[in-house]
Amino acid sequence: MSATTAETNVVLPGRASVLRRLARDKVAAAAAIIFGSICVISMLAPWVSPYDPYYTDLTIVMQPPSELHWFGTDNTGRDILSRIIYGTRNTLLMGLAGVVIGGFIGGLLGLLAAFYKRADGWIMRLVDILLAFPAILIGLAVAAISGAGLGPVLVALVVATVPLVARVARGSAVSIMEQEFMEAGRVVGVSDFTLIWRYLLLNCISTIFVFLTLRFGQVILVGSALSFLGMGAQPPMAELGMMAAQGRDFLFLAPHIATIPSLAIFVVVLAANLLGDALRDVLDPRLQQ
Amino acid sequence: MRMILGLLLAIAAALPASAQTLTLLRNIDAPHYDPHRTTAGATTEISLLVGDTLVGLDFDLKTITPLLAESWTVSPDGKLYTFKLRQDVTFCSGKKMTSADVLYSFNRVLNPDTKAPFKWRMGPVKEVRAPDPYTIEYEMTAPFSELLLNLTNFQGTIVNQANVEALGKDFGVKGVDGTGPFCFQSWEPRNQIVATRHAAYKWGPPIYKNRGPAKYEKLVWKIVPEEASRLAAMASGQVDMTYSMPDQYLPQIAKLPNLQVLRPEADLRLFYLGFKITRENLQDVRVRQALSMAIDRKQIVDAIYFGNGEAAPGYLHPKTPGYSAAAVPAFNRYDPVAAGKLLDEAGWTMGTDGFRHRDGKKLSLLLYGFAGGRSPKVAEAAQGFWRKIGVDLQLQMWDGTIVFSKLAQQDYDIWSIAFPYSSAGDALRLYFHSGNIPSPNRMNWKDPETDRLLDLGNTALDEKERFEALAQVQKLVQEQALWVPLVHEGLALVVNKQVKNMRAHHVYTSMVYKLLDATP
Repeated sequence: MSATTAETNVVLPGRASVLRRLARDKVAAAAAIIFGSICVISMLAPWVSPYDPYYTDLTIVMQPPSELHWFGTDNTGRDILSRIIYGTRNTLLMGLAGVVIGGFIGGLLGLLAAFYKRADGWIMRLVDILLAFPAILIGLAVAAISGAGLGPVLVALVVATVPLVARVARGSAVSIMEQEFMEAGRVVGVSDFTLIWRYLLLNCISTIFVFLTLRFGQVILVGSALSFLGMGAQPPMAELGMMAAQGRDFLFLAPHIATIPSLAIFVVVLAANLLGDALRDVLDPRLQQ
Repeated sequence: MRMILGLLLAIAAALPASAQTLTLLRNIDAPHYDPHRTTAGATTEISLLVGDTLVGLDFDLKTITPLLAESWTVSPDGKLYTFKLRQDVTFCSGKKMTSADVLYSFNRVLNPDTKAPFKWRMGPVKEVRAPDPYTIEYEMTAPFSELLLNLTNFQGTIVNQANVEALGKDFGVKGVDGTGPFCFQSWEPRNQIVATRHAAYKWGPPIYKNRGPAKYEKLVWKIVPEEASRLAAMASGQVDMTYSMPDQYLPQIAKLPNLQVLRPEADLRLFYLGFKITRENLQDVRVRQALSMAIDRKQIVDAIYFGNGEAAPGYLHPKTPGYSAAAVPAFNRYDPVAAGKLLDEAGWTMGTDGFRHRDGKKLSLLLYGFAGGRSPKVAEAAQGFWRKIGVDLQLQMWDGTIVFSKLAQQDYDIWSIAFPYSSAGDALRLYFHSGNIPSPNRMNWKDPETDRLLDLGNTALDEKERFEALAQVQKLVQEQALWVPLVHEGLALVVNKQVKNMRAHHVYTSMVYKLLDATP
């Protein structure tokens, strides 16, 4: 992930051209539409979901999909469709928080490492150490100490994202550091803060952003896995991983309780990954020949 | 469903039979296997298989039988029990068992340093003596009518002093030297436990045709938290026996040609939610009563237990010795409207967010429970019912190896648990005596009148007088709504038909007891 050429032309493409290029690729367009719809529907959860996702009715447990309940009901008689809508929202927000916080810390570390040569070794060794821990393990460890909940999951997602982003950011920033305008800025007495903020960050941001969109799907998957293991969301919260976990007890009786949330995770992650790929093709300056 | 199980059966036919090993499946592990230092139900069956008690218990859970003691006498005032021990008993290590071992074991339970949670089950002991190598004199300051029954529990297990001292803190973790029909071999926490046959064993209780040694050479317990995996393992014949088969699969299991479902003769076991009444939101008895009123037990039995149990309007099952029907309060019956009114009276008014508030604070409660089995499902059902009357319930489920240390803390409001009992005196004394704070009296129920009646109920020689005192305790604690009794649980032992002559017991949750008749 290190920087390649020093001559790279680093300019953010205009918004219109991004959309036009996205639309030209059919898979990318489909992914963008699906992902966009998922986001819109889940963010409108309180208005679009047919039932209260937390309303239990023990007289209608484990019902297969029907007209009244499109995705059926779970083992406490809750409407699965409503829980999927709320669950997708919670899962997406969890992923977003992980990527944004992890991206911020990681990006900052990467830029600082590239800018201050003396700190480089220290920061990057720290990053290497973080890189050695699998995210699931961190989540399990934090949950074991502090008790399960969304907190430990978020910590795990952030810790798993920080080192990757830091490396990407540093790689990109190192090549910018060699550009003459950095030298020029220093010579005319621009402050370090301005140099990092205006000169370095703005020239690296597209690389970091592309990486984070690619990372988003992974983060959702890890977060759902932790919830599936019982370390993340706690009942009755609607969260896709936890819903799949609860359904597995009834796999032989009512397979839809586990399979529908699992399919939802599959669709969300696939759409996020395809969209990430497409955005990389469009945004990554190195791929624009 | 049928197709999947058919496939599993086909796999079963292809698996080699390991006739001399009996594999048991369970959903949770215990914190350790030291019989004197635990209340964990998961410890029971292993403690009772690798160790023995002075007296045994019949399948009816009432009749006391000889075990390590071949006979005993009780003095007319009910204070002195004299046990004659068998002279042919040896530990797994080969050491002969004498009255010195019994004396050491009982004193270990009685010693406050051991912190034995079931110490009270030993009664008001004045002194235990060993006048000769095969006699034990058990003297108490007052009569204790349930002594023999309590001595069949695992806290009465006889251990080997040399072994306890050699292992120190690792006793019950790396090993246990007992006199039981099987010998403790190894334990990998949360994975498996292995025990091998005690070849010299011949002193099993007379409820078994075979007094020993056991027919199986080896026992292996596999810990499988996943419910569907337990069904698959049983259906495919990978394992021979389990008492932790999820309720939802029992109807299917009964139809499979290779499995049978055994029911114990006696099964007193209650699933309840307990209130920590010292917590801010639970101090008001009206709140506790409202919470009990808001739950439809029948729905829980039907939807969560799949009919494998009975709705519990009172703490004790009507067939419990000492049960009082008059003590069952009316508020344990489903009436959400009245529950809402009670909460209004208590000052908790419904807010716009669908939850109740008082002085700007939300009526929110935190529940601790077991991560496996029925516990999370029942807790979620309760959460649903309480939500409808505006009460927010947060759940925190813990693994079986740490749940008891979490439950001993004071930082939660409600806990959920199922517990076995043998009589009114046993169940009430266990939970409601102030001497059992903080655990198992997790309610922090401190009431001199309850204590006095409980002591009376346990010491009075006349049965009518005892039951009268216990009926008063039942009335007292149930009126206070210290618990939400939910379900009298049904118990089922699922056994592969290749295991012959198996009969289900239920001595303090162990459904296998001594396993002597079971034949490959």
